Amino acid sequence: MRQARPYSGMFCGGVSARTGPHALPLARIKKIMKRSAGEAAAGDGGARMISGEAPVVFSKACELFIAELTRRAWAATLEGKRRTVHREDVADAVRNTDLFDFLVDVVTNDND
Amino acid sequence: MGSPQHVSHVRASSSASTDVDGGGLNGAQDNLLPIANVGRIMKDVLPPQAKISKHAKETIQECATEFVGFVTGEASERCRQERRKTINGDDICHAMRNLGLDHYADAMRGYLRRYRESEEVAAALNNNSGREIQIDVRDELSIFRSNEQRQGRN
Repeated sequence: MRQARPYSGMFCGGVSARTGPHALPLARIKKIMKRSAGEAAAGDGGARMISGEAPVVFSKACELFIAELTRRAWAATLEGKRRTVHREDVADAVRNTDLFDFLVDVVTNDND
Repeated sequence: MGSPQHVSHVRASSSASTDVDGGGLNGAQDNLLPIANVGRIMKDVLPPQAKISKHAKETIQECATEFVGFVTGEASERCRQERRKTINGDDICHAMRNLGLDHYADAMRGYLRRYRESEEVAAALNNNSGREIQIDVRDELSIFRSNEQRQGRN
C-alpha cells in the first residue's frame, strides 16, 4: 500500500518533494536542459541557469509524454496484429500526431 | 560500439566511454534519459502481454530527450527576451503552450502549483525543527481512514 507522499513527508520532518522519488533522474534532466539552454542562448553568450523546480516539472512531463507516445505506438502495434512494439510503430505514432511534428527527424534519422 | 553515423543532434555528443550495457545503438550515453527508467514507464502503460523491442525503447528514449530539449530551447529563448537568467517552472509551462503542447502545459501548471505548496510545507517544518512540531493528529487519522475506504484492493 502506498502512502500519499505529501503526508509521509510531514511525518519525516519535512522531506522535500524535490528529493522524493521521481520517474526520471533530475540530474540527468538538468544536464539535457543545460545543453539545450546553452544552444538557444548562444546569441547572447550566456548559459541559462536552471531553477530546482524545472527538472521536477520535466520528470513528470516526460513521464506523461512517454506514456502518451507509448500508447499511440501500441495502437499501431495492434493494428498490425502484433504484440511487440517496434520502432516503426513509434514512427507511425509520431507521424500521425501533429503535436509530435518536432520528433519527425528523430524517428526518421534512425538507421538500421 | 562505434559512434553512430546519423545526424540527429540528440546523439551528437556521443562520448568515447565504454558501452556498459553491451548493446543497443545508444550504449551507455549520459546525454539521453536513462533507458531503464524509460522502459519502466512504457511497461506501466502497456498491457501485461505486450512486449517492447529494444529499438522501440531506444527511439522513445531519444524522443523524450528531444522533448526536454525542444521545450527547454523555447523556454530559454523566452528568458533571453525577458532578460532573465534562470529558467523556472513557469517558463516550462509557457513554452509548452507556445509549442502547441497545451494539455501538457495545463497538467504541469497544476503539478507545479502542488509541488510549490509542498515545498513551502517542507520549508516551514524545517524551520520549526528546533521547536516542537505540532500536528493535529485527528486530521491525519481522518486522512488515512478515508484512504483505507478508497482502497478496495491491497
